[in-house]
Amino acid sequence: MKNKVVFILIAAFLGTLFLFSCRGEQEKKTEINTHWKFAKIIDLNNVNPIGIVAQGDFLWLSDVDNNRIVKIDLDGKIIESFDGFQRPMHIAIQKGKIYVPEYTSDSLKILEDGKVSIYKLKEKPDAIAGVSIDGNTAAVADFYNNRIILQRDNKVTIIGKEGHKDGELYYPTDVEISNDLIYVADAYNNRVQVFDLNGNYVRMIGWNEGIKVATGVKVTDSQVIVADFEGNRVLVYDLNGKLLQILSDKFNQPTDIEIVNNKMYVVNYKRSSILVFYK
Amino acid sequence: MKTLLKTGIITLLTFATFILSTTNVNAQTKNETDKIYIKIEVDGLSCPFCAYGLEKKLKQAGSKDVLINLEEGEATMSVPKEQQPTEEELRKIVKDAGFTPKEIIFSKTPFKIKKDEE
Repeated sequence: MKNKVVFILIAAFLGTLFLFSCRGEQEKKTEINTHWKFAKIIDLNNVNPIGIVAQGDFLWLSDVDNNRIVKIDLDGKIIESFDGFQRPMHIAIQKGKIYVPEYTSDSLKILEDGKVSIYKLKEKPDAIAGVSIDGNTAAVADFYNNRIILQRDNKVTIIGKEGHKDGELYYPTDVEISNDLIYVADAYNNRVQVFDLNGNYVRMIGWNEGIKVATGVKVTDSQVIVADFEGNRVLVYDLNGKLLQILSDKFNQPTDIEIVNNKMYVVNYKRSSILVFYK
Repeated sequence: MKTLLKTGIITLLTFATFILSTTNVNAQTKNETDKIYIKIEVDGLSCPFCAYGLEKKLKQAGSKDVLINLEEGEATMSVPKEQQPTEEELRKIVKDAGFTPKEIIFSKTPFKIKKDEE
């Protein structure tokens, strides 16, 4: 009888140990899966990109120096080029439409099947640096007015004002709407700030990492990724702002990030290239 | 008589060509001298948002040919003489664009940019 009890106890102990070790492995595996690894560089020919969005097997870039939008394949070859944009910055895509903020003209333009139309903004911006579209909602980063213009159908909500405190902005350059939250690349406050759709401040991301200029932001279902232009880094956080990873190799003034099919594309403005990472 | 007519026509054509070319040169010279060239040295001009922001503000001030040199931290432009902004006005534009202006130089002739020197 005693032997049986001892045997059962030992078996239970070993079983528990086994289960814990499995869980540890699982956690380790999950942790590894949050990390990005360098894959390759795509060199661009005479393109100095600010913004990037993906569409199928193609990438769209805003070529700010050459006042155009280009569509490239995954080897960097230009497939199509659309001239005549006035300093296009951080672009967005929805249902095949490319939304192009023009920094010089203060217009938000839509490029669809080679034709250009205008998205009417109810509030006048001064230098649109970035745009995000989510259904009928548009958010634009109003650089010189230090604010985000959030336009939902006919309703306009102004988010932020000039300053350095929580909820205040200092030259915002990019914006993204994700799960009813607005993520703002608060460039010269060296951080990303998160707001709700009513413009209320929710949280701050990246304050402790000494970001030099938070130029671009990309949000997935589990990560917030920030391009640090002057710091030549890309920082990866979870949705609550916990730092997961810092990528700092091969960057040369990164400005924007796109993620598609578990691959991350980061544009280098100065080196005129795209860095590709995988998980 | 025919020879005289021919000579007359040739002389007239030569004269007309001379007058036209002189007018053209005068127009060109007038166009150039009607402009004032400005170079602004700027502190903190590092990113494309900064560069194209300054470009935007200087264009609003009346120039059509603003050129920003990120490497050198300077902006060059030209304006018609009658629209020449004062140094004070330019300093305000640069400050409003988010930068600290350093030296501002006015010139009657275009500035050499790096591309020209190469």
